[in-house]
Amino acid sequence: MVNPIYIIILSLATGFLLSIIDKAGRKLSLTVFYSVLTFNVFVVADWLYRFTVLGVSTLTINTAGFKAPLSINLQLGIYESFVLLFANLVGLLSAIYLIKKFKESNISSLILYLILIMGVNGLVMTRDLFNIFVFLEILSISTYALTILTKNQKSLSAGFKYMIAGGVASTFFLLGVVFVYYFSGNLNLEFIDPNSLTNYGVIAIFLLAIAVFIELKPFPANGWALDVYESVDSGITSVIAVVNSAGIIFVFYKIMPLLPQNLLNIFGIAGVVTFFFSNLMGLKQQNAKRLLGYSSIGQMGLLVSALIFTMNSPNKLIYVIVGGFFINHLIAKAGLFWITGIVKKEKINDWGILKENKFLLILFGLLLFSLSGLPPFPGFWAKWEFIKLLVHGKMFFVVGVILLSSLFEVIYLFRWFTATVKNDSEIEEKIPFQFAKYFSTTVIVGISLIISVLMMRFVYNFQTIHYLPIIAVIIIYLLDFIPSKIKAILSLGAVGAYGYYIYPLENNLQLFFGIIFIVGSAINLIATFNRKKLSKGFYGFLLMMIFSFGNLLVAKTYLEFFLAWEFMTISSFILIMRGKRAQKASLLYMIFSTAGAYLLIVGFALAPSLVSNSALMVSIAKIQLPILSTILLAIGFMIKSGSLGVHIWLPEAHAEAESDVSPFISAILLKAGVLGLLMIGISYVNNTPTFNMFYWIGWIGVLTAIVGAFLASFQEDAKRLLAYSSMSQVGYIVASIAILSHLGWISALYLSFNHMMFKSALFIAIAGIYYRTHTRKMYEMGGLIKKMPLTYITVLIGIIAISGVPPLSGFGAKWLIYSSFIEKGWYLQAGVLFFSSAVSFLYLYRLIHTIFLGQLKYEHQNIKEAPIWFIIPQYIFIIGIMAISMFPNLIIQPLNSIVGHYFNSTIAIDGYNITSSLGNWNGNMVMLVTMGVFIVPLALLMLFNRKVQTVKQFNIVYAAERPESPQTTHVAHNMYAHFRKALGGWGKPRIWEFWHDSAEWAHTFGDFFRRIYTGNGQTYILHIILYIVVIYFIMGV
Amino acid sequence: MIFTLILGFVLLLIGIYGMLSQRNLIKIIIGFSIADTGIHIIIVSIGYLRNRTAPILNSAVDISKAVQQVVDPIPSALVLTAIVIGLAVTALMLSFVVELYKKRKSLSIDDYQELKW
Amino acid sequence: MIKKTLVLIAIVGLLMVFWPLMSNFEFSQNLSELASNYVRGSVNELNTQNVVTSVIVTYRGLDTLGEVTVLFLATVGIGFLLGKRKGKKRPASELLQTTSSFLFALIVLFGVYIFTHGHLTPGGGFQGGVVIATAFLLLMLSDVNMKFNHTILQIVESFSGAFYIVIGIVGLVLTIGFLSAEIIPLGEFGKLISAGAIPIIYSFIGLKVGSELTNIIDTMRGE
Repeated sequence: MVNPIYIIILSLATGFLLSIIDKAGRKLSLTVFYSVLTFNVFVVADWLYRFTVLGVSTLTINTAGFKAPLSINLQLGIYESFVLLFANLVGLLSAIYLIKKFKESNISSLILYLILIMGVNGLVMTRDLFNIFVFLEILSISTYALTILTKNQKSLSAGFKYMIAGGVASTFFLLGVVFVYYFSGNLNLEFIDPNSLTNYGVIAIFLLAIAVFIELKPFPANGWALDVYESVDSGITSVIAVVNSAGIIFVFYKIMPLLPQNLLNIFGIAGVVTFFFSNLMGLKQQNAKRLLGYSSIGQMGLLVSALIFTMNSPNKLIYVIVGGFFINHLIAKAGLFWITGIVKKEKINDWGILKENKFLLILFGLLLFSLSGLPPFPGFWAKWEFIKLLVHGKMFFVVGVILLSSLFEVIYLFRWFTATVKNDSEIEEKIPFQFAKYFSTTVIVGISLIISVLMMRFVYNFQTIHYLPIIAVIIIYLLDFIPSKIKAILSLGAVGAYGYYIYPLENNLQLFFGIIFIVGSAINLIATFNRKKLSKGFYGFLLMMIFSFGNLLVAKTYLEFFLAWEFMTISSFILIMRGKRAQKASLLYMIFSTAGAYLLIVGFALAPSLVSNSALMVSIAKIQLPILSTILLAIGFMIKSGSLGVHIWLPEAHAEAESDVSPFISAILLKAGVLGLLMIGISYVNNTPTFNMFYWIGWIGVLTAIVGAFLASFQEDAKRLLAYSSMSQVGYIVASIAILSHLGWISALYLSFNHMMFKSALFIAIAGIYYRTHTRKMYEMGGLIKKMPLTYITVLIGIIAISGVPPLSGFGAKWLIYSSFIEKGWYLQAGVLFFSSAVSFLYLYRLIHTIFLGQLKYEHQNIKEAPIWFIIPQYIFIIGIMAISMFPNLIIQPLNSIVGHYFNSTIAIDGYNITSSLGNWNGNMVMLVTMGVFIVPLALLMLFNRKVQTVKQFNIVYAAERPESPQTTHVAHNMYAHFRKALGGWGKPRIWEFWHDSAEWAHTFGDFFRRIYTGNGQTYILHIILYIVVIYFIMGV
Repeated sequence: MIFTLILGFVLLLIGIYGMLSQRNLIKIIIGFSIADTGIHIIIVSIGYLRNRTAPILNSAVDISKAVQQVVDPIPSALVLTAIVIGLAVTALMLSFVVELYKKRKSLSIDDYQELKW
Repeated sequence: MIKKTLVLIAIVGLLMVFWPLMSNFEFSQNLSELASNYVRGSVNELNTQNVVTSVIVTYRGLDTLGEVTVLFLATVGIGFLLGKRKGKKRPASELLQTTSSFLFALIVLFGVYIFTHGHLTPGGGFQGGVVIATAFLLLMLSDVNMKFNHTILQIVESFSGAFYIVIGIVGLVLTIGFLSAEIIPLGEFGKLISAGAIPIIYSFIGLKVGSELTNIIDTMRGE
């Protein structure tokens, strides 16, 4: 137990003597320097331990032998020691990071640094207003001087602007302090009576508060800070962004009790405004450090508003929200600034150098994820709780702005990330290994992970299953050195074990989705056995995704569900990003997923609290969701299922993912959106709805189906074709869910299951073809029927199953769907769907015609059948399709009972015969009849068509000129151009254009607003003064 | 003596105006210095009480009634600290200008805008 | 033009912010409770004739320590920033040279007087330190090639600061409180030896400020 005032004493004494000590050698002075910094960390950590674990009460330290208010007193409690622990820790790590600089540079830099850290400690602990001013100046002056640790024109001019701005702010602070004294007769925070600060006293406290607020860099009075972030040495920048900010935000926290409510509200809004604009302006930023500067300023704004808006909340909430944002920002920003100093590339497009350095890349990724507020990092929990709090406080506008700004932040952060990982320029230089710099960054990431786990464990009491996705990633990462086949076997085993673990599920709907998610994934996993070499990082994220699917089913609370949802997003994002040209695809996917996730947060926040301890899928039946909540959740889920309007991520992601990942994304991931929509439906039908929202969802589903079908027809790329086909098929499913009837839901589930099987089979088939031909362009293929007969059969059966012609399962699906639409009276919708089924023949025909029929391409003469690992899963699915086609009861019977929970059954099942109000369907009979019809012409053909003359395929003499690129003259190239023409303006990618234009607008706005940062120091002062005046008049006295 | 308070505010505004209108780096610093001085005068004025003497308890003050006879010592103590801090900041600012001038041979603030947006 | 208007708006706006503070200002009739306690305490508890000094050095000693630190930081920072510099110089006139070497000792003596009597009369460590620095400034002006022994300056600066803190720690060790004046007998009110540790602290501050300011001036002057 060390009196914390020794932090100040020891740092100061050392600071005073350091230049003398240095005469005995830099080694000694460095030793002393680091010892003192470490001492600080330990003292504060010790106290934090005492306060939190041992329950020691807050410590007050009087000076000069007198009690406050006579003397200045210091205070150390939970909050202080918490903030100081992180400030000192980052201070120490930053100093370690800077060790090379400190070795070479003048001793002054060590002194300045030491006293800077001392200044933060004093600033946080002191309870006297004027003393705050003194420590603020100590902090500022040492920072000003340290801005030129790397001295160049830029850092000098940035440092000067910083000084001028800081000088103006402290002038106002001083004025505020003396007038607070004038009105209240005290300087000690405990003794200042807020009532004495009414009337004109408000101006005094206003001056004080606005000065602190300016130091927190509100938009637009923050140009100076951006320049500092951009130009100053990375080690010092992280100190400014983290240590200084922590100190100043704590000062703000300390004076908050003195501020009148209306001023607090203004500051809260100003924080949100700052968050919005800095992220908007960040969109246009290309300079890595300045980008981090924008993000940093934004985060400070968010932190301020969180501090203000949580003021009257329970302690636990404040810890999670304010503490979460605080730690999250601190750690991520320190780490990222350090990485910029290691990479040493100004432009974010030059960061490809990082992709060769896997270790740093992982750190970089973790920090970006943390900054984006993804789980399990503290920012995730903070955002969840904060949005919930704001929603309950009916501050919808603020919620909207915060989420929109967060989305901007995610956009620029992930653009940076994907541009780094997928950078395809040849890079020769290597990032030099510098132990100290790597050490600091690693430690900070480690701390962040530890805190995340502690939060999950102790704040939310999550069970192991909810961490499982992360544990999987970590374990597989540790095992990454073993060959991929073994990892595949392990993964298959893990999926099996997981399935066994969650197996006793509460109801059969869960079981049904469990089969789609877990069994479907397990079969698809077989295709990955074909992977060669190590496939580093693949299986970890695959398992993470599969486990998250399963966790969606067993989640008991909104938060558990959302956590699994986000884990699913992270893992699928990374899997998609593994594709060769997946930069744009993965970014789009992330942006849309994040937007969807934000809608879910608000939707869940609006939902009433759960009453039972069952899984959310079950207990949601007892919950009546408010209209707004239903709408938001529905949109959020429909984004994931690729509905029309928000589908543009879908073709990109499905097509660009690695070929054995696409079946997971397309056949299984989309079902998560279906699951969500179904959950809303369950709540909807069990509680009397007041607004017929599902009517509109139905229309969206129908339109998705037809547009998807048309778009699929125009694709040249086999995977894109299948992707649009999936979009179209999920449109059917969504539309059937929206019918909200027994038959409708049976069709939806039936089609979901069916789609999972045939789309998996088809994607794996295409994977096999791609593996052999190395192209996805269909017009570059042809005649593969003889080379890859097994794959041909899969595709043939797959497209029959999709198209809905007898005898396969698709026919049953279509029959059910049309029956349910007609039963419901949605004739127009049924008509559109029918038309869309016709359109789907166009693309399905193309798939079989262009790839397998026609002339074999010369370069494909010697290719073989797809590898066995692709054939096995295909045929498992084919057998499944055949089975349910022959014996539809296998699935209709259980679906009947599942849906029977929610609606009265309207069909009768008798043997193989299914009867609805409109007629009956006997799948078995259909199969037999079709078989018979098929066999007759086959026999005839065999009989009469024996004499076939074969011609050598490549025995062709060109009659005229040889075309430049012969494939494009092929009939399969741009096959349905005439249909496209017939569609006229409807064939244009309008929705894509809409999103593209929105993005352009946002960037243009960002670019417009950032012009206020002219780079002129004087303009920045003008901003500050005008800002003060404007806030004053908004406050009104 | 209320005029000293007004004088302080006037100096503060003049200083800020100087910082906002002058292009020359040195003049901007002079503006800052003037504003700072304005604040110091305001601080001292706040501690003033009519017809009282300095808070030094020598023979001029009756020690037993000192509380009724001296002006407020606190602002005087504060202003001392404020002055020293102002001096430190001004000195550091000036040395920044010296270095800036060495690099670009210009004292106009308009010549230092390479960092922007 | 736009900028000029904005500047004008800013200034007028600021005036409007400050206006209520000015127009409603009234001088207090009585000392605040805190100030009265200081006045009484200065007599009863600290035996210090100069109330401002007792506030600065003892009651608000932490501020003063901070203030010393700020000045120290400025010195270090300026040294860090400017490093060694060279410039053209013109020798001073003989009159100035002679007078200044004559005045030097007197000014230093005066400075020492100010900081050793800080608890009795107006003045104190800072003022005394500044006076001492002016003596050195005078030397620099009169003899442009004058070189100071930086090691001595540094030692004075470092150790006076360190001793200041050590005196503070003594209070802490004696469990009175950091920077307490009562670590040595308070002496007799109004005498040179009174006010406990205040004159000692002020002397160290005086030395520190004197050496620091000299250092700043010397750094800015270059060689």
